[in-house]
Amino acid sequence: MSERLIYLDNAATTFPKPREVLDEMVRSYSESGVSPGRGSYDLAVQAGDLVEQARRQVALFFGAPDPNRVIFTANATDALNLAFNGLLRPGDHVISTRLEHNSVLRPLHYFRERGWISFDLVPFDDRGFIDPEAIARSFKPNTRAVVVSHASNVLGTLQPMKDIGRLCAQLGIPLIIDASQSAGSVPIDMTAWQASAVAFTGHKALFGPTGIGGLVLHPDLDIQASRFGGTGVDSRNPEHTSTFPHRLEAGTLNLMGIIGLSAGLNFIAQKGMEAIHRQEMALLARLRDGLLECSRVEMYCAADLKDHVAVLTLNVDGLNPEDAGAILDADFNIAVRVGLHCAPLAHQQLGTLQRGAIRFSPGLFNTEEDIDHAIAALTSMSTRS
Amino acid sequence: MQEFGREARILAGRKIYFDWEGFFWDSGDWSEEVAVLLAWEGGLSELTATHWKVMRFFRDYYAYHGRAPLNRHLREGTELSLSELESLFPGGIRLGARRLSGLPNPKSCF
Repeated sequence: MSERLIYLDNAATTFPKPREVLDEMVRSYSESGVSPGRGSYDLAVQAGDLVEQARRQVALFFGAPDPNRVIFTANATDALNLAFNGLLRPGDHVISTRLEHNSVLRPLHYFRERGWISFDLVPFDDRGFIDPEAIARSFKPNTRAVVVSHASNVLGTLQPMKDIGRLCAQLGIPLIIDASQSAGSVPIDMTAWQASAVAFTGHKALFGPTGIGGLVLHPDLDIQASRFGGTGVDSRNPEHTSTFPHRLEAGTLNLMGIIGLSAGLNFIAQKGMEAIHRQEMALLARLRDGLLECSRVEMYCAADLKDHVAVLTLNVDGLNPEDAGAILDADFNIAVRVGLHCAPLAHQQLGTLQRGAIRFSPGLFNTEEDIDHAIAALTSMSTRS
Repeated sequence: MQEFGREARILAGRKIYFDWEGFFWDSGDWSEEVAVLLAWEGGLSELTATHWKVMRFFRDYYAYHGRAPLNRHLREGTELSLSELESLFPGGIRLGARRLSGLPNPKSCF
């Protein structure tokens, strides 16, 4: 057993966070942790500057035209709810995919169960990819939005967002990208991809803390507020302000989270996103290759790791995935994620809905030795009598 | 007999409720006599001293902490690797040992 924990659950959240991020959070919040954008004293203005600086960073990072359309939320689920509530109206139709996380599926289900909307879910092919033409075939006159997870949190496959965006733009249908699993791993350019909105979370590949995320909007997307309250501006008006970003931000922002998100973006800029991705994918390929000889290990959609993020999902024949996770944890000191990964329809299509699967997701701070430990552990588990 | 998503069975002369995966609805309904019957149903014709040691550890831990043991505590407390423990019970750790010990269904990410 490894002496130290081998953390291979970076798709759930990156861990540990970079020391630079944690240090900056403590330093900056210690110095300027007052209510941002609410007071006129210098420190409040400085705290507000931290928020606005982060908006500019996020806009630049996602290729968004207007930093004021960067809306800070608690996480990607929160951002997606904000988008759906502000965009969808009774009678609307939505197109999404079977790869989606429950952060998309459950809001859509909620709206459909109340008779407000209808939706179609496009299946993925046997390599884990969505065919943009399949989305195009699902378009209806009342289609109001297309929602696609850029990277599957089960399979790691990156969807062809530029092609999907082009098809959506041709029909004038907003494309909403769930970038939870891709933001920080691969470049995202919502302008070039003709996307109307990108929902992201800060605590995964962006190396920020939990509790911070965002919704980045293209100015062409008219989205209404669905929650109301204090914004620090236009306070005499009983109506919630319609100007961005305050239209969609009610209440005091998560300044500590925003500082951490900003520091995470700085960390990525310093390390180089492509270099980080290359390192993680090399570890993933090592894991995949090391398991090829294990006849009782079934890997899903991993034959070709091109257009993937560092996620590998598998099962060991004859072993309940939940038990496999417990064995990896207690007997080998390896942390992985088992179960359905909040993406039941992806597992349904894979045929793993009943028990789920075991997901390995190496990160920047893993080593080749970590991967070799994981291969040895799985080999041992799969060769038991 | 299905009632409100749970199934009632008569075991050892008592009416006991189980959930959809066969976990005890109420951990307090567990008894050694019922465990023997359930083990037999699951293909364990004889519960060895090691089986009882595992089940007693599960139950004592749950009674004291109000939750199932952490993986490492399970390993330490039973003096078995979890790989050994998984092999010991038909159904493995969760659906075998934990269920037979009368702990509630963990319902984690399913």
